[in-house]
Amino acid sequence: MDLILQQTINAISLGGVYAMLALGLAIVFSIVGLINFAHGDIMTFGGYGIFLSLAFGFPPVAALTIGIGAAVVMALALERTAFRAMRGADVVILLITSFAVSEILKVLFQNGISARPVPISLPASWSGTYQIGGATIGVVPTVSILVAFGSLAGLTWVLRRTATGMAMRAAAQDLEMLRLLGVRANRVVAVAFALSGLLAGIAAVIWTAQRGSVDPMMGFFPVLKAFIATVLGGLGSLGGAVLAGFVIGALEVMTQAFLPDSLSPYRDAIVLGLVIAALLWRPDGLLPAANANRS
Amino acid sequence: MGAGADPLSHPARLRAANLTRTLVCLALLSLAVAVLALVFGRAGERIAVQMCVNVAAVVALGVFCGNTGIVSFGHGAFMAVGAYLSGILTMPAALQASSLPDLPAFLAGHELSFWMALPVVALTGLGFAALSGSAIARLAGASAAIASLGLLIITHGVGIAAREITRGSQTFFGVPRIVDLWVAFGAALVFILIARAYRESAQGLFARAVRDDADAAAALGINPARTRFVSWCLSGMLCTVAGALYGHMLGAFSPASFYLSLVFAHVAMMIVGGMASVGGAVAGVIGVTLLQDSVRQLEGGATVLGVTLPEVFGLTTVALGLAILLVIWLRPSGLVGAFELGPGAGARIFERITRRTHPAPAPARVPPATLRAEGLSRSFAGVKAVAGVSFEAPTGRVTGLIGPNGAGKSTLVNLMTRQYAADGGRTLIGDIDLSALSREEIVRHGVSRSFQNLRLFRGLTVYENVLVAALAAGHRRGQAAAIALRELQAFDLGGLAATRADALPYGARKRLEIARALAQDPAILLLDEPAAGMNPAETDDLADRLIAVCEARGIGILLIDHDLRFVNRLSDWTVVMNRGEVIAQGKPEDVRADPAVIEAYIGRGRTAAIAAKTEDVAKPIQQGATP
Repeated sequence: MDLILQQTINAISLGGVYAMLALGLAIVFSIVGLINFAHGDIMTFGGYGIFLSLAFGFPPVAALTIGIGAAVVMALALERTAFRAMRGADVVILLITSFAVSEILKVLFQNGISARPVPISLPASWSGTYQIGGATIGVVPTVSILVAFGSLAGLTWVLRRTATGMAMRAAAQDLEMLRLLGVRANRVVAVAFALSGLLAGIAAVIWTAQRGSVDPMMGFFPVLKAFIATVLGGLGSLGGAVLAGFVIGALEVMTQAFLPDSLSPYRDAIVLGLVIAALLWRPDGLLPAANANRS
Repeated sequence: MGAGADPLSHPARLRAANLTRTLVCLALLSLAVAVLALVFGRAGERIAVQMCVNVAAVVALGVFCGNTGIVSFGHGAFMAVGAYLSGILTMPAALQASSLPDLPAFLAGHELSFWMALPVVALTGLGFAALSGSAIARLAGASAAIASLGLLIITHGVGIAAREITRGSQTFFGVPRIVDLWVAFGAALVFILIARAYRESAQGLFARAVRDDADAAAALGINPARTRFVSWCLSGMLCTVAGALYGHMLGAFSPASFYLSLVFAHVAMMIVGGMASVGGAVAGVIGVTLLQDSVRQLEGGATVLGVTLPEVFGLTTVALGLAILLVIWLRPSGLVGAFELGPGAGARIFERITRRTHPAPAPARVPPATLRAEGLSRSFAGVKAVAGVSFEAPTGRVTGLIGPNGAGKSTLVNLMTRQYAADGGRTLIGDIDLSALSREEIVRHGVSRSFQNLRLFRGLTVYENVLVAALAAGHRRGQAAAIALRELQAFDLGGLAATRADALPYGARKRLEIARALAQDPAILLLDEPAAGMNPAETDDLADRLIAVCEARGIGILLIDHDLRFVNRLSDWTVVMNRGEVIAQGKPEDVRADPAVIEAYIGRGRTAAIAAKTEDVAKPIQQGATP
């Protein structure tokens, strides 16, 4: 029972990170058709933001805020420099552009900071535990669940209730039409990138708080899972991305907890294999995005 | 296109052009290899070997990506399988016993020669491709690309975990280094030949048709997922062999050798050269290899023009990334472009080829059949687009289907051809229920269609657009060529045979869609607004051609259009729809006088005044916008 509770907390906390990353990818994809390979590097940059501000003596809370801000700035910078010029290009072309950007950023991180992990030491009191009915629960996973759900709820509110959110949902349908209606499309796209950067930044905070270090590939692996989540959820579907993020997080924690030791090295392969098998069953994803193509 | 080119020589010229293009690819590679090996000596030869192995790998990758338009990141997985399997099968037994003591017995101690191991490696690759392709080929576009990335990650993970077979993340060594310049060069040439042959084969054409427009290809009876599956299998098998070559070139490697940096390099080569063609793959590998090797000189720090550059780890990666970005910004379809490298069939050098293919004679008159809609219904989010529609379209008759914008005409066609699933009712031809079939199977029962919004295969020529339809109908190559020429002649497109479909003027595009549908010898042809956007002269010309085809072949046409004059001129029977329902049907002159029809078009009140002079009804409706 205790084990199940602990593993559930772990699953939701990991799933929350994947869900936030997948949602950031899905927001950008639904509006400009870009599958952003560099999303992981935005997250990594957020991690380095935390590292550098701690190194310059900022207090931990300020450092985390700066890290989130760094991710937002990075997302906006990439949109302005690399992706705006490619607006409206084919999905494949955009994918490859972001692939190239991502590779270049990784080399810059390796040369500019370090190819090795750099430590992030947050106050020891943050990594404590507490007891619920005999189960030992970590503070960090609990907080990260709260933060993840808070972010997802906040974003849902922004998309559903604010004018900008409405414009973004309209842009996902037809960016060109939105422009003809006099809405500043560049601003809508920039907001989408900023939101995806914000989510990546929050994910970076949770990730570094749990792992205690940053390296050039930090964002890459969770974002790979988030990619898979966007496809599993149905490419372009925001709800699907969040759902599939949690599904993949849960699968990963479950395989970690219940797989025999001899099979544990195959964990990632088994999780991804299950996801690909699920796509056989539902090729359009768990919650397919509405498709309005006319013949 | 040469002036006065004889359309009937086009198939022979296309064959010559395809052969020439293959030779251009081979010559390009041979030239690069010769320069490297002869001018730069030993170092150049080493680069040439690497380049040839990369050509094999990238050409193999392009068999899938170029023909389906989907970028695959999964090909590193096949290369890894090929390299490890071939390595295990060929390595000296004594070395194997010490370095891989826990190897499963069925893999151990074979000590085959590379050439003996090759068929095993290729077949294993094919099996692996069929297994992974059964999932990935069902996806399209970006979803497939990401799923292929998933395959790469899975394979990499398994490669590290399966220590007893791969030595985990440690170096796997002792693989005989048998790949010299001749082996690598020969392999690259063979790969180019296979890739070129596949690209121009019926299967390759089908895959490229799906790449350009999956819905239109499905309406021709081509199964989109199957074309991706076939391309994936061939490509995966070739990549596995290329991986074996790569392994036998390196001699020692680890799972990381086949992971993202290799995949990134290969995808970069393909994109830089141009993903759509074999020539692009070859040119991309040559260009990027030269770039990489020049930059690598600088990576360890160097002095250029008296300036000492610092040591930069990963400079080649940055150079590759920048090369991709520059190419994408300046030439989105790559250095070679979207068409194959070398002259097309319309080039002047082929003008002397005059071997003619005779157009197929008009097909025998089709046996009588009737396409029947029985109570078809479909709602979109509560709006009844089509509600209980029944009518007949028999062979030997032009059935006009008219109605104001939003009446549900196009939805009806999409229901009858299974583009959409009906909520209720069914479509029959004879006593076969089309509603129970998939959209690819409709055409096999003699029902072809055109689309309201043009759906041509942009990356194919005019001739290939029609040829692909004839091939999809099950004709062999020679017969398909003769049929394609017949339809091009019937719609006055012969002179444009070598032109790319997306370079055609609007009227010719419309005619090409109809020619493409007719190449399948349908009994019933559904034409969704064939005259939309045409000027009056073009419309009259099209009407003449349709009448001629109808009379010669006895087919039935279901003609949907806003242009009442056009519909009235052609049709013997008119069905009128409004708000999803049939409001009248009968002989055109009767329907024209029907007050309900006039009301639907003009509105209540003016009905009486207009009823007398129905010809005028055509004018305002003709100018109405197409939805």
